[in-house]
Amino acid sequence: MSQSEMSRAKRHLETTAKMKEMLPRFFMRMMERKFSNEPVAWCMVGVPPELLKAFDLLFEWPENFGTMCASRQVAPMFIQEAENDGYSPELCSYVTNTMGYCKLFQEKGEAPEESPLPGGMGTPAMLLGSGFVCEPRWKWFQSVATRFFDVPVYSTDPLAPPWDIDAKDPRIEEHYLALLREDLAGQIEFMEKHTGKKLDLDNLREIMKRSHKALSYWRDTLALRKAVPSPMGSTDYFHAIIPQMYLVGDEDAVIFYREMYEEVKDRVERGVGVTEEEKYRLIWFGLPPWFNMGVFNYLESLGAVVVYESTYNVGDHFEVDLSDPLEAIVRRTWQRALKMHEYGSETMPELCNPAVFGGFSGSNLLEELVEQYRLNGALMHLTRSCRAVSFGEVHTRNRLAKTNVPSLIFESDMADPRFWSDAQIKTRLHAFLETMDKAKQGGSIDDL
Amino acid sequence: MTSSQFPFDKTGFSTAENEKIIRNLKEETNKPVIGYLCCFAPPEIIAAAGAIPYRITGQPGGDTSPADSYVEPYGCTYVRNVLARAGRGEFDFLDGLIISHSCDMVQRLYGIWTYYHPLSFSYLFNVPHQVTPWAKSFFKRELGFFREKIEQFTGNRVTPEILRETIGRYNKNRALIREIYELRKLDHPPVKGSEVLDLLMAGGVLPADLYHDYLQSALATVKQRKPETTNKPRIMIWGSIMDSPALFEMIEESGGTVVCDDTCIGFRTWEQDVPPANDPYDSLSEHYFVNFQCPRTDRGPGTERFKYILDRAREFRVDGVVGYIISFCDPHKFDYPDLRDHLKKEGVSMVLIDDNYSFEPSEAIKTRLEAFMEMFC
Ligand code: SF4
Ligand code: SF4
Repeated sequence: MSQSEMSRAKRHLETTAKMKEMLPRFFMRMMERKFSNEPVAWCMVGVPPELLKAFDLLFEWPENFGTMCASRQVAPMFIQEAENDGYSPELCSYVTNTMGYCKLFQEKGEAPEESPLPGGMGTPAMLLGSGFVCEPRWKWFQSVATRFFDVPVYSTDPLAPPWDIDAKDPRIEEHYLALLREDLAGQIEFMEKHTGKKLDLDNLREIMKRSHKALSYWRDTLALRKAVPSPMGSTDYFHAIIPQMYLVGDEDAVIFYREMYEEVKDRVERGVGVTEEEKYRLIWFGLPPWFNMGVFNYLESLGAVVVYESTYNVGDHFEVDLSDPLEAIVRRTWQRALKMHEYGSETMPELCNPAVFGGFSGSNLLEELVEQYRLNGALMHLTRSCRAVSFGEVHTRNRLAKTNVPSLIFESDMADPRFWSDAQIKTRLHAFLETMDKAKQGGSIDDL
Repeated sequence: MTSSQFPFDKTGFSTAENEKIIRNLKEETNKPVIGYLCCFAPPEIIAAAGAIPYRITGQPGGDTSPADSYVEPYGCTYVRNVLARAGRGEFDFLDGLIISHSCDMVQRLYGIWTYYHPLSFSYLFNVPHQVTPWAKSFFKRELGFFREKIEQFTGNRVTPEILRETIGRYNKNRALIREIYELRKLDHPPVKGSEVLDLLMAGGVLPADLYHDYLQSALATVKQRKPETTNKPRIMIWGSIMDSPALFEMIEESGGTVVCDDTCIGFRTWEQDVPPANDPYDSLSEHYFVNFQCPRTDRGPGTERFKYILDRAREFRVDGVVGYIISFCDPHKFDYPDLRDHLKKEGVSMVLIDDNYSFEPSEAIKTRLEAFMEMFC
């Protein structure tokens, strides 16, 4: 497969550039511990990362591993391995990437050399899943533990009230909170059993304080992107989520997000934008094409900047009372559910955990965003193998059309580059920019 | 309307037929018709509230383009088909809609359907994904909320007595269906898989009493048949929703005989009685949540999740499994490699048919099925 000219991405912030030193340090520490045979938990986004930290557990995120494999262009090789095993090309490419990795790991008895992390994801001692957002997550670890590593699995099940139910009705609230609480208790019991450690609530509280501090800097940074010109684009945004996944609860993460906030604020004050001339301000829906993050730079070269992303976004849901840290985990999950519900959750099945960046789709929030972020258009990445996150884009497009904001839905994938063509994507992006021009001049977007 | 209007050997309970029946029933009884999809929300509660439960079906191969105005092209083709039908107003006989949070696609179908085509009554029945004590409590509370909602809509109270009595009527039908499946364990089953699907499709539209009569007459007819004498490969069907007999017929034409199934409209809803308990909601939770074998529920890793299929394969002395998966059906596509391997360990082969809910009897499928059947000769 010839490499796309968009495979390399340029970031604009100095803070995100620092990740290049910060993360390897962290990964080296992890690797040393792995080599001394400390157990590793493979975790799914949705597992409160603060808990992992509180148990001082080594962990890996197969999802994030999928994004890394994609950006290093090795995902297709792993995915192909899984397909040879009978997994359909339609299935979530993060999952098939994991399956291919596991298969090669077992065949070779060690991490395949193509793995982007030193030592790969290692061998899991337990799997901590979360069913939030999608069905594949239920199957993923079930299969890993059936086919490859016979280790214990615990998954949480954060159900959320459907869009047409009164979520503020105290009975409904209790109905869902009871599930969340018991589920969390089950998770802790599982972790205590399999780590042989007792959860220290005081430690957890301190970790959560730091984690929430970092999140609040992150949230405030995102709000700064309302400025014209926007001080920060998607290449920085999508990379800056990583510290919260790996360094959560560390002082390092607080410092990272604070510095990022300060840098972005400074750029706003100095009027420094991402592009020389900011002609279009866009909202991005869905997962990014991790193998071609340069597409954002390409857009920027045309004067189009993405100023808001629907995925990995945080709001105020983590502003909860931390005195009882377990109740705080439950409450922030629930607060997020309420927020999603208020905004319209007709296409959302479950809650997202704000500690690891949730997402939203198709909702009343749109009108607010269009105004506050002065959006001219929406780019919607229809990820073929992740229907969970891209589902609702057509509905969102319908709703955006009411505010005369045009949308472009384009098809590709988050980790599998087989559906991408530079030429095609360029043609479509150019045509879309013309449509935005027309819409800006007051033309109707109906003839899109 | 009486069951004698549906002689077993003649009437096919196809989608079109079922819709005619439901329209007539609605007119005759003046009862509201509540459409349901996936049966975590028990139809017994709908019936006990004085409404007619109607299992929504798609129209295989039908035009799904009307769905494009609300949903993405990448989605379960069955769900898109149903949505397209809703968009065309083909479900105008429904007074209400109950959809369970089974797979992702069905859950989202609910949101989009009720947003764009609101009905006077609709309810999403939420279902946890794994069988823990707290998930069971959630399910039971959900049953309670569901009952309240439907009571408000029909104006009829669902007392424990009425509910128990309704469950009893459904259980009588379960017993008859079990009897029919027992006949399929014989060396030469006197009933074809396509006919059994037809019978089960009737269960999605006929009220319990009528269905009972129908099952009885079907059973009588089947028992009188002279059994065939040729030995045929014994096939189990596994996979996505199948509300068309086309694949069963293709298997039959290729020389196989379908003896059991693990699909949505299959044995799994009927095979066991709703167990007796002091509290009927405990009975329903046990049946529709704990015991109900849908791949969307996580039963942990290993063999446990395939136990249901492996047990049926042994009981019905299955030679081979025909898997049928439609495009973008995650629950089944994810299970396939593990299931195939588990079956293999038991000495049962499997062939997988991919489709886009068209059920087109293509040459390619026929050739594969024929080759598969030959393995057993
Ligand atoms: S949300 Fe999408 S990308 Fe994430 S696990 Fe589910 S299907 Fe895969
Ligand atoms: S289980 Fe599969 S076929 Fe059935 S509705 Fe869900 S995705 Fe579609």
